[in-house]
Amino acid sequence: MSGRASSWASEAAAVFVKDWRCELRTRYALNTLGLFALTTLIVVSFVLGPVGAVPELAVTVLPVVLWLIVLFAVTAGLPRVFVAEEETHTATALRLAATPSALFCGKLLYGLTVVVALEALITPLFAVLVKMPVARPGLLAAALLAGGYSLAAGSTLVAAMVAQARTKSALFAVLLLPVLVPGLLFAVQLTRIAVSGEVPGQELRMLLLYDGTLTVAGFMLFPFVWNP
Amino acid sequence: MPAQAAHLRFADLRRRFGRLRVLTGVSGEVAPGEALLVNGPNGSGKSTLLRILAGLLAQERGTVELSQDGRVLDLSERRRSLGYVAPDLALYEELTAFENLEFFARLRGVPAERGRELLDRVGLPHDRPAGALSSGMRQRLRWAWALLDRPRLLLLDEPFQNLDRAGIEQGTELLEEHLDAGGLAVVANPGPLEVPRVRSRIELGL
Repeated sequence: MSGRASSWASEAAAVFVKDWRCELRTRYALNTLGLFALTTLIVVSFVLGPVGAVPELAVTVLPVVLWLIVLFAVTAGLPRVFVAEEETHTATALRLAATPSALFCGKLLYGLTVVVALEALITPLFAVLVKMPVARPGLLAAALLAGGYSLAAGSTLVAAMVAQARTKSALFAVLLLPVLVPGLLFAVQLTRIAVSGEVPGQELRMLLLYDGTLTVAGFMLFPFVWNP
Repeated sequence: MPAQAAHLRFADLRRRFGRLRVLTGVSGEVAPGEALLVNGPNGSGKSTLLRILAGLLAQERGTVELSQDGRVLDLSERRRSLGYVAPDLALYEELTAFENLEFFARLRGVPAERGRELLDRVGLPHDRPAGALSSGMRQRLRWAWALLDRPRLLLLDEPFQNLDRAGIEQGTELLEEHLDAGGLAVVANPGPLEVPRVRSRIELGL
């Protein structure tokens, strides 16, 4: 690795470690995401009951509900990645010290680990409470990882875009949903196949392609969004 | 010590916020080892000028050139070549004073040891969370942060705000050392200020 690449990676790692260190001391995102997801999960399991026992419903309803729970939890907790930097005025120091692309990478990795941790908590509980059958566990894991990456990359970029706006929450939701819809559709479809055990088509490839597009767009757009 | 001599030149800087004209054609120049003092009442545009010089705010007209060995640095190089002390600059309250400097040292490719050295120099406890520091101690932490990678240019907006007499003496000493090493400084303050080696002044009005 060249000196420049190594210093870039070290910057991204520093941002990732700093964000987790701050998060573990305040637990803002973890509490928000966790409580939101658990509350929704409990309500859903009470209302639907063991709906997974009916094969048609398991395939058509449960993948959508699972991703809705993850989506809304992420929407509630992840905008903080950049909004907090602006609100607490730490963004000024970051702008002067960090390479924008390394900063984006560090924040994206932080967001991804938060989303994956949330999915690791929610999915087994959801599967047990609503008796969701999983015919292809490997494919379900791939759907959760690739779909989680979509959510993390989309929300990191949109959070950076809205961080300097006055109406952050409203703007975040308005901008985030169109960005996330394509990835979510593929993730739901993949989850449906993992539940039913059908032979997968191009869904995983399409989802990975969408993740790649979001990543490239993020790295290209972020410096313009971040710099005045 | 700044490795190479630098030069700052800015000309005809203009900036409005909505219909309010804040800067109307401000120009200046700072040579190695010199300080430029910017005076003016609250709201006269001192902080705006420093934010533009730092590359944190875009000017509507005018130019800012920080050059190094005759080469003008681009915006990202300029940002990474300066130290900035200002009331609107905050560090992470959840992290200790040392963890803050350690984080920024990693971003700027400086050994973390430099952070310890600066904290000792400004007289701050290493392990106290930044959120638990008094306003004067936070100002000392800003000074330590600004000097972390021995910047060529120091932009100081009300640099002695909230500092006690010892803090002011320490800040003046640090600024003198920076100028001795051939660094540049732009210092903004609402009132008169004892600053070493001021070669030029800008008076901003409302």
